[in-house]
This record gives sequence, structure tokens and C-alpha cells, in this order.
Amino acid sequence: MKKLADVLKDWEAVIGLEVHTELTTLQTKMFCNCRLSHDDPPNTNVCPVCLGMPGALPVPNRKAIQSIVMAGLATNCEIQKHSMFYRKHYFYPDMSKNFQTTQGPVAFCMHGHLNLEVSGAGAAERPSWENLASDGKTPIRRRSADSSYVAPIRILRIHMEEDAAKMVHVGGEEGRITEATESLIDYNRCGTPLIELVTEPDLRTPEEARLFMEKLRQTFLTLGISDCSMESGSMRCDGNISLRRRGETRLGTKTELKNINSFKSLHDGLEYEILRQAEVLEEGGVVYQETRHWEPSRRHTVVMRVKETADDYRLFPDPDLAPFDLSDEFIEECRQRIPELPDAKRDRYVEKFGLKRDDASQIAGDPVWAEFFERAVQVGGEKAAAQLGKVLCNDLAGWLRAHSASLADEPVSPEQVAGLAALLACDQIPSSKAGEVLDLMAKSGKAAEVVVDEQGMRQVSDATALEPIVDEVLACCPDQVAQYKGGSKKVLGYLVGQCMKASKGKGNPKLFNQLLRARLH
Amino acid sequence: MATNLDQLSAADIAAGVHAGKFSATDVAVAALDAIKAREPKVQAFLEVVESLALDAAGKTDARRSHGEELGPLAGVPIAVKDNMHLIGTHTTCASHMLEGYKSVFTATCVQRLLDAGATPIGKTNMDEFAFGSSTETSYFHPTANPWDTARVPGGSSGGSAAAVAAGEVPLALGSDTGGSIRQPASFCGVVGLKPTYGAVSRYGVVAFGSSLDQVGPFGRSVADVALAMNALASPGRDPYDSTSQDCPVDFLEHLEDPIAGKKVGIVPELLEVEGLTPECRLAIDEARAALEKQGAEIVEVDLPNISSAVAAYYVIGPCEAFSNLARFDGVRYGYQEKGCATLAEQTSKSRAHGFGAEAKRRQMLGAYLLSSGVYDKYYYPAQQVRTLITRDYKHAYEKCDVILLPASPRTAFKFGEISDPTQMYASDMFTISNNIVGNGGISVPVGLGKDSNLPVSVQLQGPAFKDRVLLQFARAVERGCGRPGTVAPGFSGKGGDLS
Repeated sequence: MKKLADVLKDWEAVIGLEVHTELTTLQTKMFCNCRLSHDDPPNTNVCPVCLGMPGALPVPNRKAIQSIVMAGLATNCEIQKHSMFYRKHYFYPDMSKNFQTTQGPVAFCMHGHLNLEVSGAGAAERPSWENLASDGKTPIRRRSADSSYVAPIRILRIHMEEDAAKMVHVGGEEGRITEATESLIDYNRCGTPLIELVTEPDLRTPEEARLFMEKLRQTFLTLGISDCSMESGSMRCDGNISLRRRGETRLGTKTELKNINSFKSLHDGLEYEILRQAEVLEEGGVVYQETRHWEPSRRHTVVMRVKETADDYRLFPDPDLAPFDLSDEFIEECRQRIPELPDAKRDRYVEKFGLKRDDASQIAGDPVWAEFFERAVQVGGEKAAAQLGKVLCNDLAGWLRAHSASLADEPVSPEQVAGLAALLACDQIPSSKAGEVLDLMAKSGKAAEVVVDEQGMRQVSDATALEPIVDEVLACCPDQVAQYKGGSKKVLGYLVGQCMKASKGKGNPKLFNQLLRARLH
Repeated sequence: MATNLDQLSAADIAAGVHAGKFSATDVAVAALDAIKAREPKVQAFLEVVESLALDAAGKTDARRSHGEELGPLAGVPIAVKDNMHLIGTHTTCASHMLEGYKSVFTATCVQRLLDAGATPIGKTNMDEFAFGSSTETSYFHPTANPWDTARVPGGSSGGSAAAVAAGEVPLALGSDTGGSIRQPASFCGVVGLKPTYGAVSRYGVVAFGSSLDQVGPFGRSVADVALAMNALASPGRDPYDSTSQDCPVDFLEHLEDPIAGKKVGIVPELLEVEGLTPECRLAIDEARAALEKQGAEIVEVDLPNISSAVAAYYVIGPCEAFSNLARFDGVRYGYQEKGCATLAEQTSKSRAHGFGAEAKRRQMLGAYLLSSGVYDKYYYPAQQVRTLITRDYKHAYEKCDVILLPASPRTAFKFGEISDPTQMYASDMFTISNNIVGNGGISVPVGLGKDSNLPVSVQLQGPAFKDRVLLQFARAVERGCGRPGTVAPGFSGKGGDLS
């Protein structure tokens, strides 16, 4: 197969996403008062309504409506005051009533957009001459010369619906119902409030799709409407993708990509589909409209089912649920509940605290990180904020990854990290020791200063104390000195290393570097 | 001398229990005794719950002996249509599909009667899932019309109407989707009210057509029906039914108020329709005369689109029924075909063998009408018709307080007499429009037909949430020409003496 960048020179990939998000932060289900928790023993959070017992009736969860309106406002959607629930019929035991309550042509939220900032290697995948968004009107803004850009991605709608039950098929290899000898159903999940966001087909590269999902996740996390876990399935995404020749305006036949449970899967699955479709088309073949399953372990997609005809869901307005007539007050109340969103937060961190834009984005994108950061700034002071941002994004992020830890559990406190940042800022410890300090702080709960002093980790930044060491090292390494003078500047690193060794790791490497240079000239 | 229970109204019974003339247990025992004596011929019940009845009555008596306040229905025996849940009973909807299904909760409407002190006696027969106008589609057995046991009691709430007409209970609950309270009430010579949509909670009532279904009471007098409505609707909307609405009205307060000077609408072309029998046509004249005599003014009103009501109904009803009955798949409850190899086979065979012919006909019709391409041709226009008829009524009620029209085109027919479904559907021709628009309607007996010698009723319809006014006019008809409290002669006094 060809490389993605090469394929995208000849072919335009047209990608749209359907994103399902469970409103996991709510206490109760969409249409009944059952507790919203998937962790309890199977079929314990159930009642006549979510089990679809005869005679039971749905009553909409007001807080769920509030959540979707907030999601709509945060993604620049028009909030529809008048909308209805519809019934979507299909016979399958995961939906206890054999219809799903969802929305019809008019959803609570219509016609929004998110501005996507694309930079780095991913930005190069979108050809540089492409300067209009896919509505053909909106110019794509360029921020800098490194080919990074801002593209508006339109959102068609966000509608409210209920989730289905969880089914486990026992027996048979693939875990599919056809081979199963037994199927188990857990209705705890049935009736979970779910919002489905559908984008316009505005995405053009796997990187854009990945970034869109990331941005959406950040937005929903900040709103506090879901835990947005792709791993556990509280945020799920299907990708629709088709190819067309550059310059062609008609859409090609699309395939639908399923089983995407991480941002990486989304990116890699779409990349594979682009390459696969390009190969099929270039060989004169035909892309079939079908649903394909991404298999991350084998890094390819396989056909789940071919769609020959559109499914007939017999959609019609749910007569058990009166049409909605949202008041201005209700919508305004939702607007008031929206906290500072990631983009605004990022800009504030850059402008007010002087954070690097990337660091600011990373911290502002996750409400747990943002809160941690702001608490640490309160301790360490605004002047130390930029250094703090660096520590969070480099040292702390790396340390958490290495320990498979989550900042939400606060293995270290904002006060401890602020202390660490302060020590790093004035060269009291080498940056290479940051991980070790985090380890010790997490274990002992002690402040950074205390840990560093206990371990004797403070580095020496006093030139008079380091000069004798430099002299000693230069005396021991006549060959390297000769090489340096002969033009091999690389050898300086070796000499710094020798100084560090001689100082038992306590000397300031930057200072050693300066002193060596001065002595050798 | 012993009084037979069937000579007492619900109000009489409650008053007697309040006053200590007899106990709730005495009443329950008498009702059970009457049922034992009368049931073999009428077969109104699918289930009689003796221990539940005696238990509830015992509690009422205990309350009284402790000096606690008793409800307005204290000790009144009630029968409940078998599509309404009551813990301790089965709820089968007269279908093989739900044979043996135990209620897992109690419907709000039933609970409210119990809260008012009523004694639950049993569950009554009906057309399967309320699909029918004769109670003949019941999977279990037919119910006889107490006035002529060779004839049907009407339907779908035929069991409830027959139980009241046979004097087995003074009050019963029915549900009305296209006339299923008003038509059997007229066949059995009792009063039957379909309240305004939203006045009575549907929570716990197995749905047929969610936008059409409404629960209402049967009684032998307008006053008893009003008494039941006070328990059903007056406590306010039910938070478990998002289509229910507040209805803070005392239905008894103005029941005896004069109607002098008020206006009764007549729709002349409705009285000329084909199929309306002369005796049913005559009943309108009698009721009209009675109302005029009491000072009401008769005005002619026009409902230009009403002839489309039956067609719209047989689109909307089956669509909603298809959807509501989709849940019966044999997976979680209900009839499950054994020995199937696949889920699809189990679902289709459970449904094929669990549902009767009429239930399948309506669901197939609904599945077709909702399918893509067909939906726009039928469902959408049917909803437009609904809007038009709603507008027609609105205009009509600018000229009158209530409309007087037939309840049914004819009196009770014989078992098996009508086998063509469309002919059966026509028996709801005067009642359906009210379900389409959601307004209240009531069926009031005016006597026996001169040709058939069977009960004949008229229907009064009113604007939305004016059911109190409807009851006031119904009382005026009853006062002028009805015979309140009449039990079918073949059953009166058989068992059920209050000792």
C-alpha cells in the first residue's frame, strides 16, 4: 500500500463522524428514576420503564435535556425550542421495547461548528492549496508558516436518545450472536441518556478526525456532562468515509467504520480505509457501501455487513412524550452553567501566564489538569506559571504515563508540584531529577524542598566551587582537549559528563558547560 | 329485609360504610356472592380476587374502627379492565401473549380508586389488547350482554360494562381508544365516560394507541361516574405519565345545576348517516326533548371533516399499536415459543402464536403504514385530518356547550353476527372523532329500544377539560329520560344480599 500523504495528493478523503456520548455524570436514566451505574451487578438498576414492561411510560430526565442544550451551546449550535422524541423500531433484545426513543428530523441542537487547529506533521496531510472549508465559502485560517491551520468543522446536529442494554454472547468464537449458544442481557445500561453528534462531511484527514474527537472530548469533559471514556465506551465514534479524485465535487461511495475505542484507533482505522479505498479505486474496483470493523491488533478493517437497502426503522413521533417547548429562561439557565471552555482557557493561559501555546492547550483541554494547574499557580504565584506549565506537560505528564497513574487521583498535590517547579526555575535541581523528585513526593507526601534536601539532590551552581573540578577534568583528558581544539566540538558533551561524574552529579551541567568553554578558548 | 347490593349506588355503599350501616367486608362478601351467582351466565370477569377484596375491605373496616377518616369510595367494590395493572392480580389483556402475566406494579388509576377506599374485586374481560368492539376477540372466553345473553356486551371494555349492568359491581374501569367505554356502556345500558385525554393517568395501562387511549369509569348512574372521577382525576396530574394534566375539579359539585339557557349542539348530517338504526335515531329526539324541557337551547353545529375520522383513526391507531406491541417478543415475559433454534425464530413464532388474528391484523397494518414511502401517504395526512377535526370541534364549541349525538349506530348484536372487520370498525363511527381530538365524551342510557327492546343510549361530547360540564348535561339527560341504577332484569337480585 502507498503512504497516506501520497494518496491524499491524488485523492480527497471525505470524512464525517457520528459520536455517541453517554451522559455518565447524571444520577438517573433518561426516562425513569433508575440509578445510572454500569458497575453494579447485572439487572439491578432496572424498573418497569427501562425493562419495557407493559403499561410503563417514559418521563424525560430534565437534567439530560439541560446537558444536551449545554453541549449544543458549547459547540455553537442553534438550540431548537421545539423538538420531539421519535420511536425508532428494530427487533433486538438489547432494546427492551423493541424501539429506541430518539429524535426525529429536528434535534435539540442543530447546525453548529467547532474550529479545529491542526499543526505539526498532521497539518501537512491537507494540501497547502486547499484554502476553503468544505462549505466552499469559509476561508481556512493559517496561523503561521509551518502549514498549521484552523478549519471550521460543521456539526449537523446533536440529538438526545437512550442507550441499549449490554449483551454478552456466550459460546462461539467471535462473541457474536450468530455463533452463540447463549446470550446474556444486562439492562443496567438500557435507558442511559445518550447524545449523538453528527458532523457534516467536513473532515479531510485522519488527523483532523482525531483532533475533532479530542476537542469534542475536551469540551464535554469541561461541561461535566460525561466522563467521555472511549475505552469504557461512554464515548463512541463511528466514521463515515469516502474518497473522490481531487477536484471532483460528487461524493464517492462511503463505508462506515466501527469498533473505534481510542483516538489512535480512529486515526489508524481511517488511514487504513483511505489506503484501502484508494487501492480498490486505482485498480478500477468498486467501493461497496458497507459497515467495516476496525481490528486494531491486525491493523485492518473487515466487513461487518453490507447495506443493500436502507434499514426501515419506521420512525414516528413518540405519542407518550409531549413535544418540547423549551423556554428562553431554560436555555439561558443552561448557558449560565457553561464554564470557561478549553479554547478560552488556553488563550487566557497564554496571555496572562505566558504559557507556551501547546502547553496551554494541553492543560486547558482537561478540566482535571486545568484545575490542578490553577491550584498550583495559586501556591507558586503567577510569575512561576510558565515554568509550572512546562513541568506539568513534560515532567508530570511523563511521570503519570510511566506509572499508569491519573492526575484525578492526585498522586502528588498541586503544592508539591509548585515547589518542584520553583526549584527547577532557579536551577536548584537538574531537570533530569524531576521524575525522581515526583517519585519521592508521591511516596512520602513531603514538599519538594524537603525531599530534595533529604536526598542531597540540590545541584551546585556556584562557579568557585565548580572551577576546581573543571581543572581536574581537563587535566585528566588531554586527548579530548586536543580533539576539541582541533575542531571537534562534540567532545564538549563528554567533558561535561566527566565533570558531572566528578561532582557526583551535583554540579550544574549548564555552568560546567560555560566554564569548560571559557577555559578551552 | 335484606337489601341486595345491586340496588345500591356506589355513593350509597360508601355512605353506608361511613355510617356503619354495614361494613366494607359485608359489601365485599355480597359482591363476591353476586359474582358467584351471576358470573356463569355473564362471564364478565377473567379473574376474581377474593382474598385481595376481603383484605382491602378488612383494612377499610379497621380504619373505621380506629376512628380514621374513610375515603369517598370506602368499601365500594370495583372491577378493573384486564389491561390495567393491579399488584396481586394478573394482567393479560385477554391475550394468550400475556396469559399468566403477574402485575409488577399498580396502575395510577387503579391506585387512586384504592386510595379513595375502594375494594378491588377482579379483572374484567375485554377484546384482546382492546382491539375490537364486542369482546369476542378475547383469547379466553366471550362475555354476554346481561340484557340478552345471546348478544355481545360491546367492546373493548365489554367485561367492565357487563359487570356493572349485571349488578356484580357498582363501578368499573374501562379504557377508550375509539369508543371502547362509550359503546359497551350503550350496549349494556350503563353510564360510561371517556374523560378528556390527559385527565386520567395512563401509567400502568397497557397501551394500545398512546395518543388515543383514555381510562374512564362505568357506573349505573351519572353521579357514581362523577364520584369515581373525583378519585381518578381530581388529585392532580400523575408525574409518571408525561401526557397527564392537572384537572383540579370537583365533578360532583355542579352535577345537579340546571342547564337552562345553556346550548346543546346537534350535527344534523350525523343523524342521517347510513347504518344509524331508527331506535338509536329516536333516542336523540328523546334526549333532545328532555334537555329542551329543562330549558336548554338546541343549536345546529357543523363538523365538516368528521367523515374522515374513522379513516384517520384506522391509520393512527394501528401505527401506535404496532409500536406499542413490539415489546411483546417472548424474551423477558409473556408467551415464549419453546425449542426455537434462533432468536429470530423465537421472536416470530412467539408473536405468531401469542397474538390473535385481530391483534396481528392491526400490527401488520401499522407496520405497513409506518414503512418508508408509505408513511408520508397515510400517517402524515391522518395527523392533518386530526388537526382539521380538532379545529371543527373548536368552532362548534364556540356555539354550544356540548354536542348531542348517538353513542352507537345500533343496539347490541348477536355473537358472531359481525365478522367483517370493517363492519365491526363502523360501530365506533360516532365515538372515534372524540379520541382523535382528545375531548371527553359520555354515553348515557335513555331506555330500551322500541324495536330491539335492548338498551339505547345517547352520547354527549364536550370541549377539552370540560368533563364536569359534560357530567352536568349527562345528569340532565338521565333526570329527563334515564332510569338510573337499573340492573339488567335477568340478573337483578341474584345473589349479593347484604346481610
